[in-house]
Amino acid sequence: MLQQLMSANSAIELRDLTMRFGSQTTSSVLAVDRVSFSLAPREFVSLIGPSGCGKTTILNLLTGLLTEPPEGDVRVLGKKPTAGNPDIAYMLARDSLLPWRTTLENAAYGMEVRGLPRSERETRARELLKQVGLGDFADKYPKALSHGMRQRCALARTFALDSPVLLMDEPFGALDAQTKLTLEDVLMKLWSEHQKTVVFVTHDLAEAIALSDRVIVMSARPGRIVADVPIDLPRPRSVRKLQADHRFHDLYAQLWGLLEQGVAGSE
Amino acid sequence: MNRAFRLSLGHAVFIVAFVGLWEFMSARGILDPTFFGRPSGIVAYLWRGFVADKNLWKDLFYTILAATIAFWGGSVAAVFVGLLFAMLPRLHKACEPYLTLLNSMPRIALAPLFLLWFGLGIGSKIAVAVSLTFFIVLSSTVAGIKGVNSDHLILSRALGATPSQIFFKVTLPSAVPIIFSGLRLGLVYSLLGVVGAELLAAEHGLGQVLAYLQSTFDMDGVMALLLLLVLLGLSITVVMNWIEHRLLVWQ
Repeated sequence: MLQQLMSANSAIELRDLTMRFGSQTTSSVLAVDRVSFSLAPREFVSLIGPSGCGKTTILNLLTGLLTEPPEGDVRVLGKKPTAGNPDIAYMLARDSLLPWRTTLENAAYGMEVRGLPRSERETRARELLKQVGLGDFADKYPKALSHGMRQRCALARTFALDSPVLLMDEPFGALDAQTKLTLEDVLMKLWSEHQKTVVFVTHDLAEAIALSDRVIVMSARPGRIVADVPIDLPRPRSVRKLQADHRFHDLYAQLWGLLEQGVAGSE
Repeated sequence: MNRAFRLSLGHAVFIVAFVGLWEFMSARGILDPTFFGRPSGIVAYLWRGFVADKNLWKDLFYTILAATIAFWGGSVAAVFVGLLFAMLPRLHKACEPYLTLLNSMPRIALAPLFLLWFGLGIGSKIAVAVSLTFFIVLSSTVAGIKGVNSDHLILSRALGATPSQIFFKVTLPSAVPIIFSGLRLGLVYSLLGVVGAELLAAEHGLGQVLAYLQSTFDMDGVMALLLLLVLLGLSITVVMNWIEHRLLVWQ
């Protein structure tokens, strides 16, 4: 009963999560060490840390893509993670657009896999493409799109699923600085309109601060939580305008110190 | 005058000059027509074969028929086996050494055996051509399926795609370009197999005509047949380019 109550309050909950790779062999590697955190519904939380700290591993675990069972308890909307959980939409660093599908067909791909009727998925894909600014490119193939436009299409595909939980693994990691700022604003707009719970993995501190309600800083392998910092910048935010905001830079300095500490602690 | 037009004009001038020089040198006895034929003789041969006597139509028909049957049979079987291997990797592993063995054999060397088994009709040359086409299309099908982008698989699995959804929505379409380049090669090789088998022995077919003309020292005829085979191969390429262009707009 208590369990259910707690789960009902948080969209995502990790308790004492510990993960080892190659646990059957003698040379097992401790990847994630006793990590606990939770997200309230519609909260935007970034996971940040040096590479190899287990950020992506945690996302893959939530997606249900990992085959090795972890120690500890993990819940997404009160349920254990399973592959293909319709409550989750997943977005990768690379856009993964299918090159033989048009922008519209790519935006509808997730819904198609999940068995939505054709007319519904087309209407929704068109609507989402309009929201990410690709309304005029519905019939183009990915080869005709720039990197930024391809990632816009991937955003449309992700939000079109209308899953309450979004897991994003460095979705803008491969973009140039200018395009990145633009897409971060697109994401902010989508997020405030669609009201989703987001776990956002990134190695870009500025990005994490600009987008999130909270930033969780992790240490180098084995991944532990170094700090869980609330970002009290007012919303709605413009990522571009934040670049000139002194509170943004104060938070950056504070978090940078924590991040350095996490790297140093493991050395 | 645009560039493309000037280029094709240039080609036309070169070909006319080349053929003219050939004819001129043959007439003056500098080039021996016994070994090289001469353009006027080649044209006369083709005229007799296709317009006056019309005897070449039948052979052309048999060659194209055999190559077409071999191409379709060999390709369909190869794509089917390739997909089967993709679904059953252990079967692929078990069959691989035998396939490598068969594929290492110069297939044209099987022609005498096939002639014995299937006779002088259309069967033996189809068998030779299939033995060439099948392996080419099979290896490209297997390569195409293995070459699927792992990001696409991860994304689809995270979305909850079933194995059959992954196969039809991701693996198969991503393999199409490579399978297609195998098919293009397979068609050229099925023509090669058919003509090769006909050269050895056949009732009808351009290869058989070619062997006969060579043995009777009819060089105009030999050259005419070679020209015909070039045109045949060329039209195959043109048709395949057209289909590829229509099929793979996204590339």
